[in-house]
Amino acid sequence: MNYTFHWLPAFRALPEMLWGALVTLEIAVLSMVLGVLFAVLLAVGASSQYRIFRAAAVSWVELARNTPALFQIYMAYFGLGSLGIHLDSFVALLAGITFNNAGYLAETFRGGLRAVPQTQVRAARSLGMGQIQAFRLVVMPQMFRIVFYPLTNQMVWAILMTSLGVIVGLNNDLTGVTQEYNVRSFRTFEYFALAAVIYYLLAKFVTVSARLMAWRLFRY
Amino acid sequence: MAKGFGILAAAALTLAAVLPAQADKLDDIIASGTLRCAVVLDFPPMGSRDANNEPIGFDVDYCNDLAKALGVKAEVVETPFPDRIPALVSGRVDVGVASTSDTLERAKTAGFTIPYFAFKMVVLTKDGLGIKDYDSLKGKKTGSVSGTFEALALEKDVKAWGTGSFRGYQTQADVFLALSQGQIEATVVTSTVAAAIVKEGKYKGLMMGGDAPYDIDYVALIALRNEQGLLNYLNLFVNQQVRTGRYKALYDKWIGLGEAPDLTVPGVYR
Repeated sequence: MNYTFHWLPAFRALPEMLWGALVTLEIAVLSMVLGVLFAVLLAVGASSQYRIFRAAAVSWVELARNTPALFQIYMAYFGLGSLGIHLDSFVALLAGITFNNAGYLAETFRGGLRAVPQTQVRAARSLGMGQIQAFRLVVMPQMFRIVFYPLTNQMVWAILMTSLGVIVGLNNDLTGVTQEYNVRSFRTFEYFALAAVIYYLLAKFVTVSARLMAWRLFRY
Repeated sequence: MAKGFGILAAAALTLAAVLPAQADKLDDIIASGTLRCAVVLDFPPMGSRDANNEPIGFDVDYCNDLAKALGVKAEVVETPFPDRIPALVSGRVDVGVASTSDTLERAKTAGFTIPYFAFKMVVLTKDGLGIKDYDSLKGKKTGSVSGTFEALALEKDVKAWGTGSFRGYQTQADVFLALSQGQIEATVVTSTVAAAIVKEGKYKGLMMGGDAPYDIDYVALIALRNEQGLLNYLNLFVNQQVRTGRYKALYDKWIGLGEAPDLTVPGVYR
């Protein structure tokens, strides 16, 4: 390769890249919180007795799961833009990832609910628990155990998906900052290598802390 | 004696092993029979695609001329602005004929020739927003292609003003889309692009908003920094293009308005 690495100037960009990583984390966390909320609504909507709610929930889930995240984010920015609705780059990226998260998580929750046998509810009810009590004390803890790892997976996905923000003009997240430095100096490999390491550490941080949490939470 | 022969043979072998490595990029291009140029194709009139999806434009013709001078076939490799250097370094292209501004920061990474073109910058906006000149950009939502000469200048000014905003997009097409939709209210682009895009009329309501008070944006051909042989050849080629009148002919063909920009800086060599 006809390239000599210049690491020193690249390391000087590190503080700004770490601030970018914070923005990345912020978007990922927000999109997960919102995504979980929407996912619960979608999971409820999908099993609703009203056709309109069912249709809305199913089409959301289908679109979110079967189209590229890039397309979803682009649509949130330029698609809505063509209708005169102008989302800020940050909001458009957040909306796009939330849409995606909610779609995947809705299916995760549905699967989690299905995995708890109906007999457990009946057993709980026969012990004299009310419907809500049975759900809260018997179904929920078991479901949570099942969806916990898929949730962490989605969180890692959300972090990685934030890198798509550059296509809608976001320039203060990790990829945005990296790309600015890249185009200014043309030192592509150094900056991208640093960004890759930071993304790796962020993702690893999520999975490791999830494992620790699970170890504390799910002891019998 | 036998020992002496052994040393001689070893020396000959070493030489044979070393010599082919001496062939530089210029040799490689001539030997391979193909010149691969990185050209940006969403940047009319320098590079774009015609109705049959064929690459056309000033830069495309420039690449063809260069290939002809080298006696090889030209191959245009479409390359977005941010990908020019990666394309060069990873060996996907031999030279960049891609309107690359010759900043000192970039020259630490890529090898620049003498300028082969020069741009003036103008404000591009939409009618009805009351933007008439560069100063009225203050406090407005602006944007440009991330990392370009004009983007760096505009972002710096927006930061200095302390009001308004700047967004960097990945392609020129996205900037025009954002401008026509109202995501941003104005951008700064090269006068050639502005003229082409307003004339084309694909995006409704775009109009020029006066000159931007930046330095002239000299752009150069790029090659790998260590390929001095190739860079020498390219420098001479740029010189010959002007000397033979081909530069002016290409300017008249693709831009047409006024005089072809002067590529020399008064008072200094190179």
